[in-house]
Amino acid sequence: MFKTARSRFKAWLTAGAGTIAALFVAGLMGAFGALPAHAPPSLPADAATDAGRWRIEPVRAYVSHANVYGVPIKSGQKALVLEVDITNRTAQSDKAYFDVFKPEGIAFPDGKPMITLTRDSTLTPELHPGMAERMAYVWPLAADVAVPSSLSFAITAEIFKPRDNLYGVPGWYNPYRLGTITLAVGDHGGAG
Amino acid sequence: MRVRAIGNLAILAATVALSYGMQVTKPHYADLTAPVPIDGAMHDWVRARSFDVRLDKIVFAHTLKSDRFGTSKILTTSGVWAVVTTSLTATSTSTTVADGIWQGPTGLRYRVTERLGYRSDLPPHDVDPGLEKRGLYVFEVPADQIRGASLLIAARRFAPLDAQARIRLDAVPVGADGQPADILPEYDLDAPPAPGKT
Amino acid sequence: MSELPPRTEATTPQAERTWRRRGLAALVLLLPLTLAEASHDSVREWLHGEDLIARDVDFGQSVPFGGSDWKLADLRGGKAGRLPDNAFAVIATFSVTVGDPDLQKKWLGCKLMLTDAAGRRWLPDVISGVSVPDGVVNCTSAIFSGARKGDVITVGDTFIVPENAVKTIRPAIGLGSERPWYLRFQRPPK
Repeated sequence: MFKTARSRFKAWLTAGAGTIAALFVAGLMGAFGALPAHAPPSLPADAATDAGRWRIEPVRAYVSHANVYGVPIKSGQKALVLEVDITNRTAQSDKAYFDVFKPEGIAFPDGKPMITLTRDSTLTPELHPGMAERMAYVWPLAADVAVPSSLSFAITAEIFKPRDNLYGVPGWYNPYRLGTITLAVGDHGGAG
Repeated sequence: MRVRAIGNLAILAATVALSYGMQVTKPHYADLTAPVPIDGAMHDWVRARSFDVRLDKIVFAHTLKSDRFGTSKILTTSGVWAVVTTSLTATSTSTTVADGIWQGPTGLRYRVTERLGYRSDLPPHDVDPGLEKRGLYVFEVPADQIRGASLLIAARRFAPLDAQARIRLDAVPVGADGQPADILPEYDLDAPPAPGKT
Repeated sequence: MSELPPRTEATTPQAERTWRRRGLAALVLLLPLTLAEASHDSVREWLHGEDLIARDVDFGQSVPFGGSDWKLADLRGGKAGRLPDNAFAVIATFSVTVGDPDLQKKWLGCKLMLTDAAGRRWLPDVISGVSVPDGVVNCTSAIFSGARKGDVITVGDTFIVPENAVKTIRPAIGLGSERPWYLRFQRPPK
């Protein structure tokens, strides 16, 4: 009788411990999740930053009213242009640089920018490992949209996983907000 | 009984060791589905599954000249241009050879340039059985990625378990500093081939 | 705890041994069946994508294929246009009497080919300076030509073939709705 009672108590304790641990962890995670998120850090505008696959170094930002690097600007439009030196940090040619920069506080009708190689106006070429290239991100805008003279660009980076969880293949996953870069925005009337 | 217990422990230890060994040496999924490499040397025919390729010539240049829609375009690069001339033919069925990679000595992979736009002598190359075709592969590579490099040619860009020709570029004359011995200031892709075959 | 005697062949009950044997025998049957079931879809898909089994057709004969009647109209080759040194241009044309007008379904994946004695295959090529005769359409255009039942259309294309294969080439046609079978036509008599 005594033996049965003790083993029953043991069973309850064992089963209960797991439940209690689960509740505790869940509560803790909820508490951490409720904490105010850290604001993404401010990144230097005049130095190179490693952002996942890309090493980026902004050159200048400006508003253009004429065609820039082969990107046509329609009449009644202007464009926000960000010129940046980009280096592919990965081991293979890649062109996943579309979402690296996002100007904050401006709504764009087209969403994604046109991205050209300033060297010869090639649209969105693959960039090769270790070869720095100057690229121009061009966001077309309606002519009457106000662009502040100092603009923050949100930088998105990804992390490298030697094996992803689904197939076990290496790759870049989990985009996250690395920080923001704030640049002065000039105004160029003519061609860039 | 003691002997039995020790025996059981030994079996357990062996099982753990075996399982751990298998886990550690388990091939990567990316390797299991990787292309099948077919090694070869420059100037030799390399026989892949659906096509044969022979690397005939490599020219290095600081700038490229290409005619497009009647206008000439000059292309510069932060590295050097490598223009690889190959002969291609299909083995049994007309097919397309689309992928070309310059693999540097440490494994960095430089895909064929996209900056030249469409040209009929650039990939994808349409090839037919029994007919040799000249096909170009144009790469932008840093000068330090030339010595010890290989050229990887495959029918498609994503071709798990299909053949990939892997041609060692050891016959490229390279100076002591690793730079190619001969870099042209400019290479005209549309100049007629020099008389006296290369 | 009382120790059980170790199990040996002698102490195992008869029924249990019979069932174990039956289970092993069932494996021999079940394993291949499982494999077949698991690979069934892939095998079928592969068969429907490949021109594997030739159905030979005599010259002048018309054969139903993919809902229409196919007949080799003409096969001619020669030196024309811009070609490599050891190559010939070949034009193959078929006269097709449309039966089932749903060509987008029946002719999906339509492929004109030339085959030679060694089993090599050539697909259509563009040859600058050589074009098919007027009124001849290629397979893809034919699918979208809006042909009705009873119409006779001429389907053809241009090929580049090496000199050493020209003597034995035979035109062939593969359709998505008929694979793995394809039609292989005898050459017109000289």
